[in-house]
Amino acid sequence: MEMAIDTPSPSPSSASPAPSAAAGRQTRAAESVRLEHQLVRVPLEALRATARTNHRLAEKEIAAVLSSASAAPGDNGAAAAVDHLTSLVSRLHGLKRKMEEGARAEELQVQRCRARLDRLAAASAGDDGEWEDMRLKRILVDYMLRMSYYDTAAKLAETSGIQDLVDIDVFLDAKRVIDSLQNKEIAPALAWCAENKSRLKKSKSKLEFLLRLQEFVELVRAKNSLQAIAYGRKYLAPWASTHMKELQRVFATLVFRSTTNCVPYKVLFELNQWDSLVDQFKQEFYKLYGMTLEPLLNIYLQAGLTALKTPFCFEGNCPKEDPLSLDGFRKLAEPLPFSKQHHSKLVCHITKELMDTENPPLVLPNGYVYSTKALDEMAKKNEGKITCPRTGEVYNYTELVKAYIS
Amino acid sequence: MELDSLREAFDRVVEKRALSSTKVQEAIDQIVTEIEQAISRMQMMNTDYMGSCDHSSIMAELKAKLNEMVPLNQLEGCQKELNAALSKYLKLLEKSFNPDISKAYRNVDFEACTINNIIANHFYRQGLFDLGDSFVHECGESDGTYLKLPFQEMYGILEAMQARNLEPALSWASKNHDQLMQNSSMLELKLHQLQFVEILTKESRDEAFKYARTHFAPFVSLYQAEIQRLMACLLWADRLDKSPYAEFMSSTHWDKLAEELIHQFCSILGQSSDSPLNVAISAGFQGLPTLLKLTTVMAAKKQEWQAMKQLPVPIDIGPEFQYHSVFVCPVLREQSSDENPPMLMPCGHAVSKQSIMKLSKSSSRPFKCPYCPSEAVASQCKQLRF
Ligand SMILES: [Zn+2]
Repeated sequence: MEMAIDTPSPSPSSASPAPSAAAGRQTRAAESVRLEHQLVRVPLEALRATARTNHRLAEKEIAAVLSSASAAPGDNGAAAAVDHLTSLVSRLHGLKRKMEEGARAEELQVQRCRARLDRLAAASAGDDGEWEDMRLKRILVDYMLRMSYYDTAAKLAETSGIQDLVDIDVFLDAKRVIDSLQNKEIAPALAWCAENKSRLKKSKSKLEFLLRLQEFVELVRAKNSLQAIAYGRKYLAPWASTHMKELQRVFATLVFRSTTNCVPYKVLFELNQWDSLVDQFKQEFYKLYGMTLEPLLNIYLQAGLTALKTPFCFEGNCPKEDPLSLDGFRKLAEPLPFSKQHHSKLVCHITKELMDTENPPLVLPNGYVYSTKALDEMAKKNEGKITCPRTGEVYNYTELVKAYIS
Repeated sequence: MELDSLREAFDRVVEKRALSSTKVQEAIDQIVTEIEQAISRMQMMNTDYMGSCDHSSIMAELKAKLNEMVPLNQLEGCQKELNAALSKYLKLLEKSFNPDISKAYRNVDFEACTINNIIANHFYRQGLFDLGDSFVHECGESDGTYLKLPFQEMYGILEAMQARNLEPALSWASKNHDQLMQNSSMLELKLHQLQFVEILTKESRDEAFKYARTHFAPFVSLYQAEIQRLMACLLWADRLDKSPYAEFMSSTHWDKLAEELIHQFCSILGQSSDSPLNVAISAGFQGLPTLLKLTTVMAAKKQEWQAMKQLPVPIDIGPEFQYHSVFVCPVLREQSSDENPPMLMPCGHAVSKQSIMKLSKSSSRPFKCPYCPSEAVASQCKQLRF
């Protein structure tokens, strides 16, 4: 960015190494654990939702039983009173069973939350390879769930034993709504909105409004004008204060009908409106559970490719170890920015290792540079002769000079 | 990260949840008990009639008792405590983690079919053929066979090696002899070496000798010393384990050779031996924290993130991700290029060509190295190639 010529740094040292490679690695590991918000957040949201549902059910049922007991018929004789009370007892037994089931579901979610905290502890506990391997698998499961590849997601989770670290059941819950929207059914989506009403309201979600609009449009499409008007009064009018414009537009369809060619109304009748409802639902669902809106895989891929992207990646001799030597990754990296270096980083052509003070660069008379390690080895094997692997020229080891690169 | 305080806050949630759940059960039990008592009193009243009370007074009593219990308020209180513990834990999560890691995400076309291909390739590359097939089927990418076949061959060879059968590995190596030589890999010779030791220990010295004569011959000129050592094994045929060459029998040779085979096989396929998806994601995990900080800084300065062509700051990722030599001229602080290549001064310090032009006033006079007292003239400087 800056072009000013600063006073050059003094001491002649070779390619400056990071303060300490090990310390750098540790900071990076700690920083990357801080990225795992979704891992701990989602099961907690699931726990919260289950606890809320259970609580509501208990409240409703107990209140119903209590008021029914109080309002029990007093003068139909003792036998009738006994019958009535007995039915209340069996209702309570039913509730108790449901509560026990609910508690088990909550406990399962508690276990998941704990498993994730334990997983984070494992990040700093050593086995980097294992941690990274599991991490990639988790991210792949997340990607597949978001793309609706449920079977492979479940298989991968099962074969790698990470069921507690991924959120398959949360996504399967959402799948019911997605499937029904794809079949042009609104009811399950509306039920979902009702379940999460207060939180959707807090985030100013307009999903319910959009669902209601679609139902209205379907009534118009079926030429049910009277029903449409009644529906609009009941379900759309409450949104008037915040969404007047859209409301007016959709009411106008009563005049234009589904065969209209008038553009702003025509789109309302297009079938891809249903796809956009699916997208809208997904976004609300992700937000509600504290997930990122994009698949984790895409986020990390972009970050990784940005960090790896240099102009050299797109040259013919890009080494195979660089993912950017492959067409797929190159394509994905195209719209991303190039990374930037403030200091020289030199990689030995022979050993592929970084050259630094420990392993300084040596220059052949033809200007080609290789690491001391590589050239020492070559000289040892060939009685002090050095062959430049790129030009074939042969030199004596004594002709090499050290380069100081800061 | 303070994992302990997270655990503590979560324990509180668990405790409140358990309490709330117990309270509900208790409330239900209590109501059931009261009602059942009322029922049995009514039934008793039916069998031995006492006359002093009738069922409506029992009902009235029950009603009063149930009203007294006020179980609903209790439940409400428990739920409130649980919600408080939950919000506290949630706040701690927001503080301990980065709650929005998509801030540095660019809204660009990130084609699903390209990503799906990469994932399918990854599964096959790892030998997870069932998963690969299932994935290809589910995502509806046209055909995964061309991705799968080469890796099936590779894992076939590796499986045979596991069963101590070197035939498939040897036949693959001889088919790719020229390319292996070009990669200066000793894989083929090492496979023959393993086979030789197997024959020597399991069959006979004569067989081993015959094997050596046919198969080591093409390598003699290149790997004389290794082959001499191998031939010396013949002297110890029946007690190789007690010989100076016992290490030839070590099973670690098999593991190392399997690794080398994967490496060479992938290299000949035009791929790295690490899964490229693995590499890119690991780099992403290391690079993302810096990118997120950068987006925050840029947003504060109202700078455009989405369209920027090059990052303004370096991203600190591990040296294992450095695949290309980058020379940054310490004077101009700019990456070198074809037009402005790195140059070596006679003192051993390196700067860019443009810097030398500036220092020497376009090669017109000698100049002092910016890093040491040595003097140089432009014509003494040599272009470097990394
Ligand atoms: Zn100098």
